Amino acid sequence: MSTTIPTTERPTFAPRVRRLTLKRRRQLSGVLFALPAIALVVCFIGIPIGQAVYYSFTQWNGLTSTWIGPSTWTQAFHNTNLWTALRNNGLLLLSVPFALALPLGIAVLLHQRVAGWRIFRSIYFLPTAISWVVLGLVAERFFAYQGTLNSIIHALGFSHVSTNMLGYESEALIALGITFVFTMIGTNTMLFLTGLATLDPSLEEAARIDGAGRWRIFRSITLPHLSRFIQLAFVMTVIALFSALFSLIFVMTGGGPGYATTTMEYLIYETGFNQGDFGTAALYGLILFVITGIVGVVQLRLIGSNE
Amino acid sequence: MKKPRRTGRWILFGAMVVVAIVMLYPFWVMIITSLKSESQFLSGGGFSWLSWSNLTSVIPVGQEVLSSTIVCSSSILIILCVGLPAGFAFSKLRFRMSTVVFLVIVSAMMVPLQAILMPEFVNVTRLHLTGGYLGAILVYASLGTPFSVFLFTTYFRGVPDELIEAGIVDGLGYFGALWRLVLPIAVPAIATVTVLQFIQIWDDLLVGLLFIQNTSERPITVGLAVLAAGRTTSIPELMAGSIISALPAMLVYLGFQRYLVKGLTMGIDR
Repeated sequence: MSTTIPTTERPTFAPRVRRLTLKRRRQLSGVLFALPAIALVVCFIGIPIGQAVYYSFTQWNGLTSTWIGPSTWTQAFHNTNLWTALRNNGLLLLSVPFALALPLGIAVLLHQRVAGWRIFRSIYFLPTAISWVVLGLVAERFFAYQGTLNSIIHALGFSHVSTNMLGYESEALIALGITFVFTMIGTNTMLFLTGLATLDPSLEEAARIDGAGRWRIFRSITLPHLSRFIQLAFVMTVIALFSALFSLIFVMTGGGPGYATTTMEYLIYETGFNQGDFGTAALYGLILFVITGIVGVVQLRLIGSNE
Repeated sequence: MKKPRRTGRWILFGAMVVVAIVMLYPFWVMIITSLKSESQFLSGGGFSWLSWSNLTSVIPVGQEVLSSTIVCSSSILIILCVGLPAGFAFSKLRFRMSTVVFLVIVSAMMVPLQAILMPEFVNVTRLHLTGGYLGAILVYASLGTPFSVFLFTTYFRGVPDELIEAGIVDGLGYFGALWRLVLPIAVPAIATVTVLQFIQIWDDLLVGLLFIQNTSERPITVGLAVLAAGRTTSIPELMAGSIISALPAMLVYLGFQRYLVKGLTMGIDR
């Protein structure tokens, strides 16, 4: 274009105009290309967050809402169900160390490259592909009175002992926690194995030559190297704990016995769809939003810190 | 690396076999239980094809698998069509405030559906989208979009600017550059998004349960969960249905394992 303009007239101006329009065209295309994604996220995630804030101050059954004000919040915090759910989530946090330590052990095991390790790797990750609905169904059979757990106990010689963990308020949450650990093994092992693959083998070699034992090498070289991966796995596991247990609970216990296995996310579903109290459910949603938000900020910082 | 002593290797191998048994346990339970009739299941012994031959009359697996396929493929198509241009824009066609907008979209990744479940449900119901698949598809698409935008943006950052600029100078235009230059390069990223979202959406319960009102249009995961929670369906038939529901996701996983790993470790493994 610039070559067609007679160079005698405005030799410096023409290219500048062209560059400006090009820049504007690029920006315009950028906005245009980003718009559908922005619209989708705003309409289905952004706006509902705002609505949740509004509805948390109302009495709402899904059709009509009446403004109540901040007293809805004080009321909610006097509700024992909320505290039970928060306590259940808190207790389930105790399973997180297991959901990290077991995959770490398995990843180290796989990293030894024993014959057939690739096949073992595929087997270990296989449950990750299937739905937590299905895994919950299987777990329900495992813990049932006539299930695998009791068969194992009887086979070990304790024929007079029988468990029915999902049937008792004191034990159902433990069973849910164990199932949760199992469902997280594949993902976390995958993460740790990726971390181990980036470890420079010559480091371990050098330590070994210096006379360091296996445990020493693991503690002083492997573990520090994996720290970022462990942090990421920790955050992902905690987020899953607060937002992915729904399928397991729905299939295994329905939140019961009583409210023994009702976590925050299940309480939201239960309050909204079984009790029809949309306002309180929206409020509980905001509490969950804040909790996962805090964990999410930690994760963003972890991901962002290497850019 | 020094080879551990022989006994050490056998102990390692033994440990790996034990872990393998634990991880294969769900599949073993599903297969063994599905090969029993209801009475054989209760009494413990025996073998029968009954639950398989009865399966379609108890659980409409054909219809449910079809529903799952429609919902999955439509959602993924939207996620790709929306995420790919946005990733291109945020990495190469930056506009005013684009970094802020990008960060806002990425942080939407942290919002669990349960947190906004009530307004979302009422909105989608009011728009009369829960009658068919559209409501669920849009919810899945919007939940998957932040991750795909994040993945495409980080992926395109690795593509040299000169390549795009050369295309523009050659008169492709931005849409042409997206279609002819960016899309072919993005195939691995597209595969990663597709595999991850497929497994996520195929295995999901909550959205399908609430945003698809007609029981005849239920995806298979939802169908199974509802029957399981009802506690009236025979366990062997439920297990047979579980196998059907697990197969597609397992096949996708086994076929595209490396893309799955890439997606899960996204952002840290670079």
